[in-house]
This record gives sequence, structure tokens and C-alpha cells, in this order.
Amino acid sequence: MKEEVRLMKGNEAIAHAAIRYGCDGYFGYPITPQSEVLETLEELMPWETTGMVVLQAESEVAAINMVYGAASTGKAVMTSSSSPGVSLKQEGISYMAGASLPALVLNVMRGGPGLGTIQPSQADYFQATKGGGHGDYHLIVLAPSTVQEMVDFVGLGFDLAFKYRNPAMILADGIVGQMMEKVVLPEQRKRRTEEEIREQCPWAANGRVNGRKRNVITSLELESSKMEEINNMLQARYREIENNETRWEEIDVKDADYLMVAFGSVARICDKARELAAEKGIKVGIIRPITLWPFPTKAIEEAAKGKKGILVVELNAGQMIEDVRLSVHDSLPVEHFGRMGGIIPSPEEVVNALEEKIINK
Amino acid sequence: MQEMEIKDIICEENKVYSKPELLEEVHMHYCPGCSHGVIHKLLAEVIQEMGLTEKTVGISPVGCAVFAYNYIDVDWVEAAHGRAPAVATAISRLWPDNAVFTYQGDGDMSAIGTAESIHAANRGENIVMVFVNNAIYGMTGGQMAPTTLIGQKTATTPYGRRVDLNGHPLEITNLMAILDGTCYVTRQAVHTPAAVRKTKAALKKAFENAMAKKGTSVVEVVATCNSGWKLTPEKANKWMEENMFPKYPLGDLKNTVE
Repeated sequence: MKEEVRLMKGNEAIAHAAIRYGCDGYFGYPITPQSEVLETLEELMPWETTGMVVLQAESEVAAINMVYGAASTGKAVMTSSSSPGVSLKQEGISYMAGASLPALVLNVMRGGPGLGTIQPSQADYFQATKGGGHGDYHLIVLAPSTVQEMVDFVGLGFDLAFKYRNPAMILADGIVGQMMEKVVLPEQRKRRTEEEIREQCPWAANGRVNGRKRNVITSLELESSKMEEINNMLQARYREIENNETRWEEIDVKDADYLMVAFGSVARICDKARELAAEKGIKVGIIRPITLWPFPTKAIEEAAKGKKGILVVELNAGQMIEDVRLSVHDSLPVEHFGRMGGIIPSPEEVVNALEEKIINK
Repeated sequence: MQEMEIKDIICEENKVYSKPELLEEVHMHYCPGCSHGVIHKLLAEVIQEMGLTEKTVGISPVGCAVFAYNYIDVDWVEAAHGRAPAVATAISRLWPDNAVFTYQGDGDMSAIGTAESIHAANRGENIVMVFVNNAIYGMTGGQMAPTTLIGQKTATTPYGRRVDLNGHPLEITNLMAILDGTCYVTRQAVHTPAAVRKTKAALKKAFENAMAKKGTSVVEVVATCNSGWKLTPEKANKWMEENMFPKYPLGDLKNTVE
């Protein structure tokens, strides 16, 4: 398959991107608003073309543990779900982080807590960036704001996961999952052969061929000093990821008096709000964190210098705002504007919030 | 008669048994009298004799056998509690030429991992599921298992298991046998030399089925936990025969591959 321009939903785009990346396997369980990922894969039947395995598991718990198993063998595999399902996957995600396994997890967020709503949300920011499961660990968390980024982050997510032997997550809101946009699908990549996997992943447990020592994939270590060594190794890896892989986008930051910080589709609403504010003579710049972990702390600290205030806009009660505040050390006012329950704010609401909470305060 | 020297007795010609090379030269953490050691040895023998050393991936559980990867010299993945069949499913599907087996206790197979176990077997994954049933949670200190017998005392049924409080013992292997995905379901033990030989034959058949892609094979081994049962190894074997076997009778429950 050559590069191709198509119109499609974010969820469908994920399925196409996975096949074209050369993904080896997808394991999932239906949940709104992301079921199109599994549906599209079943419709495209990649096992007939690239050889990619697609399996509808009996639960989200089983699906993430299938990912754990396949990732243990060095294969490039993924799962997707939405908020309540991602809560169920946290055990497996923690085990993958503990066992240093590369894999890709997509969360198309819906509102919570509990069963909540099937409408869009960004309320899993804490879960995705602060751990989610048990133990000291981090995922590499990518936040797409367009359907094109849904496609691009499949490749980026897998590449980073394998580079650092760490699970990666695409944290999308329900808007990006459900909306249709023009998208450029990349050329089909070949899946790696078993020999290539054995060469690239000498740690993987896929049969100890040619008399090599056995490989054991585990997150268990009962000797305290050795467990602390593993913890320190993981922490060193996280520092390396922070140094190398922090990504963000800036719009009109330099000449602005005020900043808005937003991720995912909300950043696009803020961009429109920036235009509306400009018509009123208010100069607003935008910082859109692309990696939510590692968080672009230094970029925000730098951008905040000389500014009069920051409005953090999220589809939640105020989660990313904590990281923004930690970035700027109380050097300027930082306020939050968010809607919940699946309500998406209009650009006008965002401008009003900027005026009420920051400018006229 | 000329007196025999020790070297005349212990020599290559007189050798009737050797430890399988796949069984590591390390001390096992299992209690004296525990069945796990024998089952590990049988697995090592079967894998080695079938020439599957380079193709085998074992999935170890949470429970006493969590460290199985320290003893059998093949590739291993240590699964979260109960999730071994899901882990094995993916490995088997993505490496269809490999021999993939799970090693699960009664908690893993029939409590926390019931869904994964039933569904992997029902899909007919080409895997071997080894199920060690000792009717108790050994690793955590002897609590009730789903397979704990009525009246059996454990740390969480200190006055004996009661139906009205704890429900009935779960015969999950019987459930496995009615699923269309399973091709071979058997219940064995390792308390006598004859039983050990039968269990080895069962494991071999199970691995043959997996390699021939016949579906899921389940080998239950009714086992002792003399520490958890608070019995000597000898008395534990006797208790097993008298109490476990009536509830969990030995023999094949299903065999569609003759």
C-alpha cells in the first residue's frame, strides 16, 4: 500500500495506521467511544495481508495481558479502550512498566467517574501521567489533537516504546476519536521477521534458540537491594526520556501577554479563542503539550516569563493545571477553565473565562 | 568373591536415571513433600525428550510456582495473577510454531483467572494448561482456595469450609472438559511412581496436541501442600488419597485426539 489521502474518523485512522506501521497484533474489547478501532481492524482483515493478529478478548483485563504476553516476545502489539476499560488495564500496564516491555495503549477518553458518560472528556490525565496502576512508573503519553496525529502517534508511540523499552500511551479525547478529518496514511511498512525481532530484542522470551541463555520476563524481585536497583534503573530511564523526548507546540507565544495551555482537541478550541481575543486586542499565545509525560515543564517556564497570566483549559475539573503551576512556581496567576460531563466549551466561553479569571481579576 | 568397589556400582553402564538437563542445578524453594518439584521435573523431561527446548515458552503464575522460571531452563514469562492463559494466547498466536504452556495453581486457574482460563480453553488456543490443584493457597500462608474441600480447615476457614458461608468446591477441570475448544482434559497426581509415569504421559500428549494445533489441553495434577495442610509429606499423600480423590477423581475427562 502506497501513501494515501483519506477522510476518516480518528478511531478508524488508528486501525489503518497500526496495519501500515507493521504492527504485529491488536487485542481489544469493545467500549464506546473507541469500538471503531477493533471494528475497522476486523473489517480490514490484516491477517490476510500483513499477517497482523487481531483478537477480540473476553475483557479489557485479558486484552492488556495478551499485550503483555506478546510484548514479552518482542512483537509490536497494542490495545485500545476508553476510560472505564483503561482502569481495568492498569494492572497489566503496571506489569509492563515493571518488566520493561514496549507496547502501545490507546485511551479514547470519555467522562467519568464510574461508568460516567460516553461523551468526550480529558479526565484521565492524572491516571495517564501520574501512574494509574501501582508502583513508581511512567508511561510515555502522547496527546493527539488531530486525526493526522492519531495516525502519526501510532508510529511515534511504537518507536519510543521500543527505543526505551517502556509502554507508551496515546491519550486521545473522545472528540479526536470520533471526528472525521482528512488524513495522510503512510506507506505500508513490512512487519519484522522473527529473525529481525530476535536480533533487535535479545531480551525477548520467544524460545531460546541456538543454545542462548533463557530469557525471563518478570517484574518480580524479592531481594530489596536488587529491587531498588531495578527501581533506580527505571528512574534513570525516565530522566533520559524527559531529556530527549519532551514535545510541545507553541503558537504566538513570543508577543503574547497571556498564555493558554491546553492539550488534544481543546488546544484547537483555544486556537480559535486566540483569534477571537486578538480581535478584542488581547494578545494570547498557546502552548500545547504533545507529550503529557514527559511534561514540557521547561518550555512553559520559559514561555511564562514576562506574561501576565495563564489559563489552562481542559475537559476536566483541573488536572494538567497542577503540572503547569509546578512549572511556573507561582511567578504569575494560573487559572483553570474546564467543562465536564461531555460538554465541549465554545471559543467564546474560553475568551470569557480568560477575561473573568485572569484579565479582569 | 572379590569385594565390589563403589566405582563398580556407580558407573555409566548401571545408570537407570538421570536428571533432565533442563532442570537447573539449584535448590528449589518448595517445601519438602510438595508436589511442584516432581511436576517441574516431568515438564523438563517432556520438553527435553520432545526436542522442544528452543521452541518452548512457559508462563508462570502468581502463587508458589511463581519462581518456576528459576528451575526449568526454557524461556519464561511471569504473568499477573490469573492472567497466564491470556499471556499464553497472545504468544501462541504470534509464534504459532512455539510450544506454549501455562503453569497455574488453583487460585490462579479457578479464582482470579477463571475468565481467562475458560476463554482461552474455549477459543481452543493451541496451548498446554498445567493446573496444580492442592486445595489451598500455599504462597500466601494457607488460605481457602476455590477447590478447598467442604470441612477442610484453612487460614480463612479456621473451622472448616462451609457451603453456606463459602460455597462449593469448584471443579474447573470438569468445566474445561465440556468446552468445544479443549481436545484433551485429564486429572492426574504424582504421589506414587505409577502416578508420576501417568502424569508424564499426560504432559507429553498435551504438548503433542499443542504442536499439532489440536486445541487446548488441560492437565490437572491433584497435589499435596503438606505445609498448608499441616501434615507430614507421608500423611499428606494419604489425606489426598482419602479426601481429594473422591472429589477430584483421577483419569481422562476428555480425549478427542486418539
